Amino acid sequence: MSYLFDTNEGARYLMMGNDAIVRGALEANVNVASAYPGTPSSEIIENLSKASQKRNIYVEWSVNEKVALEVSFAASIAGLRSICAMKQNGVNVASDFLLHVALSGTRGGAVLLHCDDPGALSSINEGESRHFARMIELPLLEPGDFQEAKEMTKWAFELSEELRSIVIMRSVTRLSHASGNVILGKLGAPEGKAQFKYEAVPGDADSGPVITMPVPPHHALLQEKLKKAVAIFEKSPFNTYTGPAKPELLIITCSACNLYSREAVHLLNAQDRVGILKIGTTWPLPPKLIARHLAMTEKVLFVEEVLPFLEENVKVIAAETAAEVGIKQFYGKNDGAMPTINEMNPDIVVDVIKKILGIEYIAMDEGYANRAKGHLIARAPVRDLTFCPGCPHRASFWNLHNALAMDNRRGFVCGDIGCYTLGFLPCGFSTMKTSHSMGSGIGIASGFGKLTQFGMDQPILAVCGDSTFFHAAIPALVNAIHNKSDVIFVLLDNSGTAMTGFQPHPGTPLDARGGALPTIDPAEVCRSLGATVEYADPFDTEETQKKLLALMREKGARVLIMKQMCALSPEKKGKKRFEVKVDQQICRGDTCGCSRLCTRIFRCPGLVWDNKRQAAVIDEVICAGCGVCAEICPSGAIKKTEAGR
Amino acid sequence: MKAGNLIHDPYNAIITGVGGQGNVMASRILGNILSRKGCFVTIGETFGVSQRGGSVMSHLRISKQSVWSPQIPRGQAHIVVALEPTEAIRVLAAYGNPAVRVLSNTRPIHPVGVIAGELAYPSLDEIRTALGDLASDVALIDATDEAMKLGQAILGNVIMLGAVSGAGVLPFDAEDFRDVISETMSGDKVEINMKAFSKGEEMIRALRQK
Amino acid sequence: MKVLGSRELLADVLSKELCIGCGACVSLCPYFKSYNGRTAMLFPCTQERGRCFAYCPKVEVDLDEVSQKIFGAPYSMEPLGRSLSAMMSRAGKKAAGNNYQSGGTVTALMTWALLEKLCDAAILTGREGLNAVPAIVTNPDDVQNYASSKYTSAPTLEAFNRAADLGYSRIGVVATPCQVLALAQMRSNPMAKKDFSDPTSLVVGLFCTWSLDYRAFSRLVEGRVDIKDIKKFDIPPPPAEVMEIHTARGVIEIPLAEVRATVPNSCDYCFDMTSEFSDISVGVVEGRSAMNTLIIRTERGRAAVDAAVKAGYLEIEDMPSDNLARLRTAAGNKKKRALKKAAGEGIINTNGDSRSLIRMEPKNLAGI
Repeated sequence: MSYLFDTNEGARYLMMGNDAIVRGALEANVNVASAYPGTPSSEIIENLSKASQKRNIYVEWSVNEKVALEVSFAASIAGLRSICAMKQNGVNVASDFLLHVALSGTRGGAVLLHCDDPGALSSINEGESRHFARMIELPLLEPGDFQEAKEMTKWAFELSEELRSIVIMRSVTRLSHASGNVILGKLGAPEGKAQFKYEAVPGDADSGPVITMPVPPHHALLQEKLKKAVAIFEKSPFNTYTGPAKPELLIITCSACNLYSREAVHLLNAQDRVGILKIGTTWPLPPKLIARHLAMTEKVLFVEEVLPFLEENVKVIAAETAAEVGIKQFYGKNDGAMPTINEMNPDIVVDVIKKILGIEYIAMDEGYANRAKGHLIARAPVRDLTFCPGCPHRASFWNLHNALAMDNRRGFVCGDIGCYTLGFLPCGFSTMKTSHSMGSGIGIASGFGKLTQFGMDQPILAVCGDSTFFHAAIPALVNAIHNKSDVIFVLLDNSGTAMTGFQPHPGTPLDARGGALPTIDPAEVCRSLGATVEYADPFDTEETQKKLLALMREKGARVLIMKQMCALSPEKKGKKRFEVKVDQQICRGDTCGCSRLCTRIFRCPGLVWDNKRQAAVIDEVICAGCGVCAEICPSGAIKKTEAGR
Repeated sequence: MKAGNLIHDPYNAIITGVGGQGNVMASRILGNILSRKGCFVTIGETFGVSQRGGSVMSHLRISKQSVWSPQIPRGQAHIVVALEPTEAIRVLAAYGNPAVRVLSNTRPIHPVGVIAGELAYPSLDEIRTALGDLASDVALIDATDEAMKLGQAILGNVIMLGAVSGAGVLPFDAEDFRDVISETMSGDKVEINMKAFSKGEEMIRALRQK
Repeated sequence: MKVLGSRELLADVLSKELCIGCGACVSLCPYFKSYNGRTAMLFPCTQERGRCFAYCPKVEVDLDEVSQKIFGAPYSMEPLGRSLSAMMSRAGKKAAGNNYQSGGTVTALMTWALLEKLCDAAILTGREGLNAVPAIVTNPDDVQNYASSKYTSAPTLEAFNRAADLGYSRIGVVATPCQVLALAQMRSNPMAKKDFSDPTSLVVGLFCTWSLDYRAFSRLVEGRVDIKDIKKFDIPPPPAEVMEIHTARGVIEIPLAEVRATVPNSCDYCFDMTSEFSDISVGVVEGRSAMNTLIIRTERGRAAVDAAVKAGYLEIEDMPSDNLARLRTAAGNKKKRALKKAAGEGIINTNGDSRSLIRMEPKNLAGI
């Protein structure tokens, strides 16, 4: 992590996009950073917290994105520089506050950094947060490579201070989680004293109370700021053009699509025919710059992810300047040339340029492609997602599934996003039947629990993780309890924000830097709300199922905390609690009385089927030693012994 | 090779495997080695939920000229380094070409569909035949088995890196590897990693002499 | 009978709500579980032939085939089933206890069977609240804890399967007619195992006109009775038309019509009132509350009764012919009703691929 502290201007590092953003923030002398974890944004705060060990930066894992934005806003109006990071849907969570911040304005440089996830590589939505910039009327920046990610972050603070507005910067998975070479700039020492000035009249940008009323004048002021931004963007070095003076085709692109466009033009050897206008300041668009480039050509192709944001905004400018730039042939998402779902890649761009310009290009010889496809189908079995070996969620869903099946009233589980979302797949015994935004499992369950008057008689369960509990589940749980909804809320407590890499949360005793913090016990919270609270260890399958069955006989809001630490947690990773072996003589295998329960149904990656001996066998490389398979084996063939004895 | 020239520019390497095999670590170490040697390196990775038992793939673009896209275009891989053998087949179906080289670990990790009996896993001979049909050069080494002899199955990724070095397709050696890992690892860890790296180099050379 | 797997069991029985929860498919494998009076299938099983199907009394049972295995003769349409003799009985002087439903015959006989090692384990059914809970009993002194009628359907054979798995080889079972039919199938070696031996040594069948669905019955009783206080259930002879629940605070009466509404559908198809495939069947005697009706069906049943009488655990008397005639009428009526219903729904002796509930000689159905 030496790039965090390297004062050697001009030094060259291979950095992840998120690291480049971190370095940019450090070069901007950021004072405060806050976030709620979410792939692909989490490394930003993680690495800033490492930097905070040597620099005076306050770094916080906040309870959710809205609060994170509020925390970093406080720093801004106290005169400090702050950055708030989140994944795409985090912006939705923060958006209510963001709407008000746009009106109230900021003081110290304030940057909202969001990482979108085109293709939903690590998400359960493909939400695009760029539209918030237009909707809420805030400036939006999109870096086009790794170096720019650093430079643009640094500049975003300056822009924010110039405009007195929060600046939104958007990254995507293929930048945040990709790596490239970055040359370092000057690293100064953080400065700034925090003081909130409120003595002047309301509306005074420097020292008045910070409020959004009266609204129309504030709104007018906001729009003035955007006009100012346009003027700055007209001259921004982040908007670049590469290509001939009169290209046959003009590509207008931004973000990672800039790299795909460059690659595609290179592959097609079309550098003389295609120009690339890479926009770094994607809202509000600089109309003169756009018009100038539109005038260069007849054909325009938009390459962007995911929805036609640039495309539609450029088309407005094209319409307004049609007399001057002429009528264009546009290619993009609206005419179907480009997909409006999923992430882009160089091949998609190659295909569309090929068609527009009539260039011959064969990416893969047809004979080779067919042979490769044949081998793929026959010899590369699909890898479905599954819980890790030793994952407590596998055991938890086993218990939930079995208890619901035994109860036999068509009960079901509502869930949300976390590793446990996989509970809807066979690895979770298809137990989860709804999955939406954070905390929505218990919210939906609260609604289901009030449908008894319409004849609903199914037991209703909701699950959520320990971090999600604090993020968004508490209001829904309050709702369920207050409205006497008949639900069982199961907290899958694996002691950390596991999916994004073990960030702390209010239930854990550490801050972002590893310092001590008081913990808030979810059980105490639930009890104080009036719920009965039970505990279970999901690895004790019999006891957990008994508790679930007993809870299902009760009425009202009930809470069960299934507590077992994540198998990848620093405390557990690489340490086997049990040595597990299968006695293949005892294993009943594929016969009546077992029918391969462990491999066919339980499906832990650490326990595989030995085709030769027609019995189960432990894969020692993969087995995490949790011992749960020994509990579920109907014939006692799986033996566990405490490791190290 | 040691002069620092690239066979192709950009040189496109794919390191593939299954979540938990140390794929990301391997690609970053290799990327850092080559970046230090003055190359532009771009790495594209997928991780997050894809790590949970799924295929994990890192694309490395190595160039003397510029940064490239973090996704290698279809059919454009020069080498595929597979920590799991069927993953090599999967990668070739999208990025292979008749000239591609394959370096693969032999140790299977059964997908849950195979564990459950819904899908079949090919024999090593079938894998060898498939790879031979799709690549100009195939080297299969028992990296995980050797790593287990060193006491840690996870070192399979470092053995594979050693094999890449031994194959002589990219301009780096064991000392370059040591330089990079020494930055983040403690002394005893460096030594076991060096052992694994050398083992990989050795194995690929032994295979070549056959 | 063609033995199929759990998929067919699910289609033919569970999803048609024909399952009576006898427990015959439970504790054989991880897939079937009994909970609160219901049998649940946790996961699909891929075996094409399974013991779950082979033992189930509600799949296509070929009555002639079962009868051949147990009695060496085809199924008889005689209302009381095949028998050697019928009499009245009660617990003998040697037998302890007094918490009998009527004559105490079953408790006395099973106590004696364990004492004399005719049985190495007895499968009996106790009561927890309203729920009937089976147990493996090996201590003769414990038998009396399981006396008196349960009324709710019980997964008794779940305990039988466990006992067989534990290696008990002379198991005595007290069972209802559906359970006795399941046992008869188990005892017939339907999976054609090479080293098969019948693990039972005595099957005592109970008379039964219907059982109650635990969950529905609970809903009926909850709020009227403190479940913990219940000592005994009884249905006094007509014209009372009530169920009596005896509690520490007195007797609570529930109209029989309300109770009957909690009888599972499955009982409507039951043609057997007296456990026709048992060694011995035991029930009440109309007008003689301290006596039992005892029907002896097999040689090993006769030997057991003779020995228990000799040992002083059982006393027997001749059965008045009037009583026997009335019993025969009642059993015959139940048989007719059930077969008529099944025939009306086309689930007797179906042809082709479709499977029926009951398979029997078509001529037996002539009068139905």
